[in-house]
Amino acid sequence: MTIIAAEAVLALAPDAASANAARALVMPARWPVLGANDVAVWGACQGSGSKPYQTQIGIAGTTPVFRCSCPSRKFPCKHALALLLLRAKQEELFTQTDAPAWVSEWLSTRAEKDRKKEEKQRPETASPVDPEVAEQRDLKRQAQRWNRIEGAATELEAWLYDQIGRGLGTLGDEQLGGWHTMAARMVDAQAPGLALRVREAAQGIRRGTDWPERLLHRIGLLYLLCAAIRRRAGLSPEMQAELRTVAGWPYEKSEVLSTGKRLADQWTVLGQIREENEDHLTERRVWLHGKSSGRRALLLEHAFAGKGFEHSWLNGSTVEATLAYFPGTSMLRALVAEVTASAQTQWPDSTLSAEWQTVAQRVASSPWVRSHPMVLSAAIPLRAGDHAFLMVEDQIMALHLGDGDTWRLLAHSGGHPLTMMGEWDGLALRPLSAWGFDGLWQRSPE
Amino acid sequence: MSTWAALLSVAMVGTERQVPVVPGLDGAIGDLLAELAVLGDPPAQWVLQMAAVLATCAQAGVQGTAWPGPVPAAAAREVLTTVDHTSLIVLLAWTLRDGPQRLQHLVFRSLASQGCRLPIDLLPLALEQGRRSVALRESLQPVLGERGVWLAGQNPAWNYAFGVAAAAAEEVCWTEGSLAQRRALLREERRRNPSAARERLTRLLGDLPGRERAELIGELATGLSMDDEALLDSLRKDRSREVKQVTLGLLLRLPDCAHVQRAQQRMQALLWQERGLLRKHWRLDAPSAVADEWKADGIEATRPTHDVLGERAWWLFQLARQVPLAWWDRYTGMNPGDLVKWAAASDWADALLRAWREVLAVEPEVAWCEALLDHSPKTPFADHDMTLLACLPLARRERYWEKQLKDGGRSRLRVLVHQLLQACPAGECLSASLSLAIVSAVAEAVGQHADFSNDYALRAALPELCCVLQGAALGQMLAVSDEAAGKPALPELWHTVRQIIATRQALNC
Repeated sequence: MTIIAAEAVLALAPDAASANAARALVMPARWPVLGANDVAVWGACQGSGSKPYQTQIGIAGTTPVFRCSCPSRKFPCKHALALLLLRAKQEELFTQTDAPAWVSEWLSTRAEKDRKKEEKQRPETASPVDPEVAEQRDLKRQAQRWNRIEGAATELEAWLYDQIGRGLGTLGDEQLGGWHTMAARMVDAQAPGLALRVREAAQGIRRGTDWPERLLHRIGLLYLLCAAIRRRAGLSPEMQAELRTVAGWPYEKSEVLSTGKRLADQWTVLGQIREENEDHLTERRVWLHGKSSGRRALLLEHAFAGKGFEHSWLNGSTVEATLAYFPGTSMLRALVAEVTASAQTQWPDSTLSAEWQTVAQRVASSPWVRSHPMVLSAAIPLRAGDHAFLMVEDQIMALHLGDGDTWRLLAHSGGHPLTMMGEWDGLALRPLSAWGFDGLWQRSPE
Repeated sequence: MSTWAALLSVAMVGTERQVPVVPGLDGAIGDLLAELAVLGDPPAQWVLQMAAVLATCAQAGVQGTAWPGPVPAAAAREVLTTVDHTSLIVLLAWTLRDGPQRLQHLVFRSLASQGCRLPIDLLPLALEQGRRSVALRESLQPVLGERGVWLAGQNPAWNYAFGVAAAAAEEVCWTEGSLAQRRALLREERRRNPSAARERLTRLLGDLPGRERAELIGELATGLSMDDEALLDSLRKDRSREVKQVTLGLLLRLPDCAHVQRAQQRMQALLWQERGLLRKHWRLDAPSAVADEWKADGIEATRPTHDVLGERAWWLFQLARQVPLAWWDRYTGMNPGDLVKWAAASDWADALLRAWREVLAVEPEVAWCEALLDHSPKTPFADHDMTLLACLPLARRERYWEKQLKDGGRSRLRVLVHQLLQACPAGECLSASLSLAIVSAVAEAVGQHADFSNDYALRAALPELCCVLQGAALGQMLAVSDEAAGKPALPELWHTVRQIIATRQALNC
């Protein structure tokens, strides 16, 4: 049976507070019931209430699944993390036995759900509605939405002409309202992707000394997006799909799973990051690397108000799986269609020139990709003043990294080279993981 | 000039006021921009088209920049082994983040004694703790390993720990090492060759700040002899108060030095014997004036306004603290116990007892400490008694605690625990018997649940107390916490207690 190491358990924590709270619960006295078998680990944790919380973790799959009767909205909650930590530290405390009813019922419910999900994904179990009618209805709906998006793009394009006509130098706080109004109009037209880019451009106005150059860069790409949407009909289906996604009209997961390009490989989890926006929406980006194909993939998921994600991924773990890529030209975002087995961890290797080449090719296929995964071998983290950098070969890249993580990264490196995975945003690298002689470094949960 | 400059100029002013021009770029990008110019689109659209081209190409062609300076040298190869047991690493992380400083001391010393260094993931946290607490630095330094020392060199706030590689040559260590490394080197050289070490220190003294001077001069205590008198005599006039204090402490250990001889002569002049009915009695008078030459020996004529001593008592106090305690035994023929009783009965009790306590702080002598403590009427002890207790060896010190525990009962437990911790230096533990006695008293206090919950002082001291208990007492305290952990109150406290005990048991410290 797999026992997850303590560091890996803590990497599953939704935030640093949960990790700390979990550490405080790693006390056998707080767990009057502890048990395990080949498919699950469970325990009853004495909390502040009269009845202990029932915590259970499914460990049969390649990634653990959690459930707890506590009221926490964090996922996994501190009890689940503490249970795994306790398992990592003191395996002997867990009695090998048959699962109690509250565990076995949950496991069977999960198995049932998984079965239904699989059935749903099969084409023969699709909706009983006449496929031709449904397709016609779907095409009509799509055409309507495209019309709205094209209208929005045309309006935005004209508005951008006005901004350039009047000059960006006239922009100040009083003009920001107009930018936000334009963003709201994009949302109304069901093009939230356009709205996001307008808002981001607005946020950069008069911020930093090089704001004019950055703003022109952003609105140049925004113009390109509008122009491409205007000329959509003449573009390839892949580019049309890309434009649709960038405009903020994502594909349904079921559609991706049924029609997306599939790729079976041994996928290694390179790194992951969770970010919460002001609307309490948590975005998780998990980056994978395929051993045979050399392809990278992004598993992008969202959860609201601290709710957890269905699957947990451990950095450095490798699985044999089939991914289904979202349609488009960037070919990064994917879904896990099927996991076959766990495999031995295989960290990839790469050269800087190959990584830059991949970035260039991806930009050529879609200039709107916001984060490029990069694997940088023989990288040395450095710090100068209050800023962190990465030296790779003879080049320096700025790092987006908080103080605590920077010092931990420097401690891991000690001035020696290591291999780093991060997200390149065009200006700086956001490190997510690094591995070298002294083991794995991981970015702290946000 | 940036490739954006030409475009930015018109974009900032606006195409309504300025006509765009094609940025002068060579190659395919320049050709593409030139092609856009001939399309004849409106100026604003043309500018946006050019911006789209430049933005896309900039993203596609971006590369890193060159590093302006030399790359810092990498950390040297580690000599020490590291902790690799996951559960121990988790405990160490807790110790550094949430544990009491006393536990951190214990952990560092234990790791050092086992030839281990801290795990690299914990180094930033450990260095940060060292930045906040000067007292922690000495025990932290040996467990930083080469990586920790290297890391300290990357952050000016951690410079206190930045030295040279452990295997560095002596001269490199002396000129480039951290203060702790220089102190260790000086101490070692004093053992081997005291005069060479003194000369090494003398050469460097003028360049050092006061605190460093004081700490390095303190190392002269190893191998101290009359050969050091000249240097110490010159340091009595140092501009740093800390240096003067350390110097006077060292001179007190040289009874034959001129400074001490002068102090003894001055004190001798104030003492005389008076014939009583059965035997002679010693009498003492305070100076009635400050002689001019006294000032050269640091005697201040003006009494500080806040001081409780009167003017003459102040002068007497200053004279008495320059005289070694052994002189009093020798000159008066009385033992420390009798001397303390004699001083307490005199008109100048406050000045004399205070001076003796100060001398004891720099030159501890068990008999004198015990004499002063036995004389102390207060239960629990006053603060200055705590300082005296701290000067006693642990075994001698504990009989006072045991007596107080017996006399004071549970009601005074919190004061006793607090004072006991004060007098017990970081890294030291109580004897097994006293540890067990205290745990029993704590268990009794915890049993009175409401009382214990309201006794904030005792609750707050409990984590630190767990750092000074020994052996079986730790197990008993664990049982107390197990019982208490089942109750809903104070879960954080009992968690902390358990973590401390788990850490100590894991490291056997």
